[in-house]
Amino acid sequence: MQWFLNLSTKLKIVCCFSLMFALIVVVIVTAYLGITATTQSQQELFRENYITSLDIVEMRADQNRARAELLEMMMTGDRSKQQALERDIQERSGNIDKNLKELTTAQKDDPHFLAALQELAVVRDAYRKTREEQITLILAGKSEAARTIGLGQQEERYNKIRDIALKLEQLEREQAKQRLAQSEQRARTSLVIFLLVGVAAIIISTAMTLAMTRAIARPLTEIAAIAERIAEGELEVNVLSSGRGDEVGMLIQTFRRMVANIKGHADTTRRIAAGDLSGVVTPQSERDVMGNALSAMGSSLREITREIIEGVNVLASSSSEIMASTNQVASGATETAAAVSETTSTVEEVKQTALVSSQKAKSVADTAQRAVQVAQVGRRSVEESIAGMGRIQGQVEAIAESIVRLSEQSQTIGEIIATVNDLAEQSNLLAVNAAIEAAKAGEQGKGFAVVAQEVKSLAEQSKVATSQVRTILNDIQKATNAAVMATEQGNKAVEDGVRQSKEAGEAIRQMSVSIDESSQAATQIAASSQQQLAGMDQVAMAMENIRQASEQNVTGMRQVELTVQGLHDLGQKLKDLVARYKV
Amino acid sequence: MDETSNERQRILKARAAALAREPEKSTSEAERLEVVEFLLADERYAIESAYIGEVYPLKDLTPLPCTPAFVLGVINMRGKILSVIDLRIFFDLPNRGLSDLNKVIVLHHGAMEFGVLADAIIAARWIPRSDLLATLPTLTEIRAEYLMGVTEERLVVLDGGKILSDRSIVVHEEV
Repeated sequence: MQWFLNLSTKLKIVCCFSLMFALIVVVIVTAYLGITATTQSQQELFRENYITSLDIVEMRADQNRARAELLEMMMTGDRSKQQALERDIQERSGNIDKNLKELTTAQKDDPHFLAALQELAVVRDAYRKTREEQITLILAGKSEAARTIGLGQQEERYNKIRDIALKLEQLEREQAKQRLAQSEQRARTSLVIFLLVGVAAIIISTAMTLAMTRAIARPLTEIAAIAERIAEGELEVNVLSSGRGDEVGMLIQTFRRMVANIKGHADTTRRIAAGDLSGVVTPQSERDVMGNALSAMGSSLREITREIIEGVNVLASSSSEIMASTNQVASGATETAAAVSETTSTVEEVKQTALVSSQKAKSVADTAQRAVQVAQVGRRSVEESIAGMGRIQGQVEAIAESIVRLSEQSQTIGEIIATVNDLAEQSNLLAVNAAIEAAKAGEQGKGFAVVAQEVKSLAEQSKVATSQVRTILNDIQKATNAAVMATEQGNKAVEDGVRQSKEAGEAIRQMSVSIDESSQAATQIAASSQQQLAGMDQVAMAMENIRQASEQNVTGMRQVELTVQGLHDLGQKLKDLVARYKV
Repeated sequence: MDETSNERQRILKARAAALAREPEKSTSEAERLEVVEFLLADERYAIESAYIGEVYPLKDLTPLPCTPAFVLGVINMRGKILSVIDLRIFFDLPNRGLSDLNKVIVLHHGAMEFGVLADAIIAARWIPRSDLLATLPTLTEIRAEYLMGVTEERLVVLDGGKILSDRSIVVHEEV
């Protein structure tokens, strides 16, 4: 068997297929021969028995028809029809002659048949002659005579023709049966031969196939199974070596090399996977795609890892800085949120203030309106007061005149008092002089001295009285003077009052104008305050929005902080990860 | 009601005071001095009535030129020309000017007669001689000469006789 295995696969396949081709040719030839014999016997059957039978049946049918037409000629009296029937009979007679001739040529090998046919031909000739006579009689109008001829001998002749034809038909049918049996026998024989040859071919083909399967398919299946395991990633496979020198053996050898190569690459990959990038992969040749790729991968991985390490270091430090910045930003955002919150509350307060100021402005406007009315009332009052001042001035002047008259009369009284005082003085002097004289008179003058004393006392009393009167008068005069002064001052005051009232009127008028302007201004202020309030409302809303945004900011910053923390952790993790790689 | 009761009380008190006053001592003629008391520059002076002719209001004073400062001028006293002396010059009293109320005390003794200016005549009264105190040692010259004495009431009593007899008062000048 080893010699077969050592044959090249190409040769094996060629041998196998040649043998199978030869077997197929034998089978085809056998089948062809059988089928050809069967076809030949069928053709003979058709040509010699089936056609002959048909001719005999046709001849019999023509004979019957001709007889029927003759009978019809006898029956009918129509001449033209008789003639037409006669022609038809003649034609059918010709057909029968032609059939007889064909049969004679066809069955020239069969003497038995020929003899029967000869007898038929003789009988028919006699029949034909008699029929010719009948036709002549019929045409002559002697149908009855013709019928008479027809009976008897003619009838027998006709029956004989029919019997011979039937016998011939029977003969041919039996012959056909015989031939059919022969043909069946031959076909069975060829079928047996074909079966035997086919079975032999199948057995041989199966044996060849099994041999080929053992020689090629089984090792290939084994290798395919190993390849399947390799395809599934398993490399711990054992490919047994075989001493075969054919392509399968070569394939196994090459497969072993391939597996070893893949194992080497897998080890290299495993090392790289374990983080050892220091190993250098040497490609087996320039066409070693995988080796080249692994080599390039190792070098590029080294390069990439180096860059990644640098990048990760930068990332770690950057993430640390970002985290710090984010913390600051987050605290700043929190402070901003707090400030915004305070600002919002402040704006709310300002809004309240604006509301209050709006209300105040409104009330100020109302007050200003009332003030305008009050100012008008004040103006009228001032005018009335000016008029009143005028009246007061007149009365004060009258008072002044009265006081002046009073003063003059006081002056007169003073003069009178001076006179009285003078009199009292003189009386006093007189009393002193009387006392002096009384003293000079000595004892006699004592009574006079008493009188003088009394006079002096009177003088003193009158002096005291005048003095009191003068005092009173002085008081009156002082009072009068004071009254005059007061009146003058009053006059002046009234004048001042008039002037001031006029000024006050003017002032009130100007004030009224001012208040009018103030009122308008207050109305405008009220409107402005309203607008301001609306503006403050909008500002409050905006501040509310800002506050929400700021809160969202804070939330966002918290998330950013978390994210940055995650980034930082990621950076540290990456650093740890990268540290595992030996470059 | 209160006022009337107060008034009544006051009157009753005044009466009680009047009744409680010691009666004047009935001194003898020789022991008492009758004087005319007058005011001069707010000081009370007095001159013995014996030397006084009368008192007269100072009216229509006519200043005399070419006379000493103490000669105030002359007045017409009922058709009699009377010279008026100003004692304030002698006593270094402040000059307060003159008014209608000024009086002239007419001093006379024998042939000598002149008027002395007084601001006001207070009264003619009696004072006991014993009340007169000695002159103040601080007063000298003419003031000491004219002074008769000072009472406890600080009434300066002038000696009318000495004033009248003083030759320095007599003016004899030719211009």
